[in-house]
Amino acid sequence: MRRKTSPVQSIIIGVVMFVALLWVLFPFYWAFLNSIKKPADTFRAGAWVPFLQFQPTLEHWISELSIIEIRQALLNSTIISLGAATLSVLLGTAAAYALARFRFGKSGNANFTTWFISQRILPPVVVVIPFFLIMRQLQLLDNVFSLVLLNATFTLPFPVIILSQMIRELPQELEEAAYVDGATVFQGFTRVVLPLILPGLVATWIICMAFSWNEFLFALSLTTKSAIPMPVIIAGAEHTRGVQFWFVGVRVMLTMLPPIVFALLAQRYIIRGLTLGAVKG
Amino acid sequence: MAATDSTKPQARRADRTKYWFLGPAVIWILVFTIFPLLYALYTSFFSFRFGRINQFVGLANFGRLFTDANLHNGLRVTLTFVIVTVTIEMLAGFGLALLLNREMRGKNILRAIMILPLFATPVAMGYLGITLFYEINGPVNELIRAFGGTDIPWLSNPFWAQVAIILIDIWQWTPFVFLVSLAALQGLPADLFEAAEVDGASGWQSFRRITLPLMTPVLWLILLLRMVEAFKVFDIPTSLTLGGPGRATEVYSLFTYRTALRFFDHGYAAAQGFLLLVIVSLIVALLFGQIRSIYQEERG
Repeated sequence: MRRKTSPVQSIIIGVVMFVALLWVLFPFYWAFLNSIKKPADTFRAGAWVPFLQFQPTLEHWISELSIIEIRQALLNSTIISLGAATLSVLLGTAAAYALARFRFGKSGNANFTTWFISQRILPPVVVVIPFFLIMRQLQLLDNVFSLVLLNATFTLPFPVIILSQMIRELPQELEEAAYVDGATVFQGFTRVVLPLILPGLVATWIICMAFSWNEFLFALSLTTKSAIPMPVIIAGAEHTRGVQFWFVGVRVMLTMLPPIVFALLAQRYIIRGLTLGAVKG
Repeated sequence: MAATDSTKPQARRADRTKYWFLGPAVIWILVFTIFPLLYALYTSFFSFRFGRINQFVGLANFGRLFTDANLHNGLRVTLTFVIVTVTIEMLAGFGLALLLNREMRGKNILRAIMILPLFATPVAMGYLGITLFYEINGPVNELIRAFGGTDIPWLSNPFWAQVAIILIDIWQWTPFVFLVSLAALQGLPADLFEAAEVDGASGWQSFRRITLPLMTPVLWLILLLRMVEAFKVFDIPTSLTLGGPGRATEVYSLFTYRTALRFFDHGYAAAQGFLLLVIVSLIVALLFGQIRSIYQEERG
């Protein structure tokens, strides 16, 4: 395992790492490249380095960002991800505290935890039909509010799992000292525990935002016009218009940048989140 | 862990308060998943006309599941997708983690870069795929030609269209297997390996006898998480190939989505949803026994 690495081995490792990084980064670079190329350059082979091999332009960014539908979609995506993540973290943090600090019957805590985790197993397409029918009944079709509610539901396992682990790692004496000073349970939670888990809480909130931003099936099913978020804007449009690489580039960048930035901000908690708390990374 | 001694005043207070903390989340999930599931079950017993409930048909919608060739196609496409992507992702991700599990410079940057695909909007990746796999002078075909190959008809040929969606999924999720495996590998106790080395164990022996057994539960967990996610596949084929050419990439969720929201056959779509839920639940039940030990600490 921690054996000495021979020169041959280091070369192999170096090559593998280089190829892996190239493989991961290439699509991003490709999207970026197309977004700043003039249409004629996108069809020309050997245009890989801006300024040297072609003259970059911002015209596609400007023209795409001036499209009303795209601005509306960016706004909708922002509302949906902010709203859903906030709701999810509010509900999830409280539940996480309860599961970490109190006992619910003999094996209630474990059962509740498993129950929350099982939300991630449910295929969304199973519930999309009833959601569609219910939202139609409530006249909430094509309304960002319905997507806020649904994304909050499907991201709820993340705060519950991540934060209950974090709270368990805190010494309980801190809250007990506060109780001795006359604090209520609620005050012990807000004044003692919350400040201590704040970094994890923010990271979880960011992870929930990224997931809500990327969500596609519910968005596609429940929006028709005014509530359409970015992922729906992107799906399928070019099939009818013919592929215009430069617009694909801009739209892909506009859609992917926010969740990717979120992910980098919340790095430390991502493995824990994505493995539902099993691996801490 | 939280020993509730009911003689302490704060403990008694906590007994009532704890439900206020847990209650909202539980009620929320009940309202937004259990209730819709029950509603879907109810829906599945009816035929629909113009998107409205028409008449009670008993189990007829479930009966159609057995005879619908297009549904079976969706199931076959999805199963192929799950088996191929998950196998390759597991092997490549774990292999890469083993190779890079050593002291080296730039580890944090490597990790940061590997996180990027996990959060790249899948539907945007499918959309970008249209240009990546473009048949005339697309970058993938250009690369193939640079190595002396011939152009591949990525999106117009049923076989290659499947390969294309599989490649994008592999791009997106191999880093997940890599990152989780690497985190788990680094958590293995170093003294075991030192002891093995002192005893003269070869690299292969300590891998076979120490690394692999200790990693087994984590690998089962990764397998479970990946399979559950892969069965839900929808975004990439929807944006890259629209399920085509023909129905070559019409995965299960896409077929169900179309049944419900293009043909407004909600009852039948609900029945399809339940079949998928049953399949995924069976897999979870089969695999969960293997990974229970990881979650054991939660069960204290």
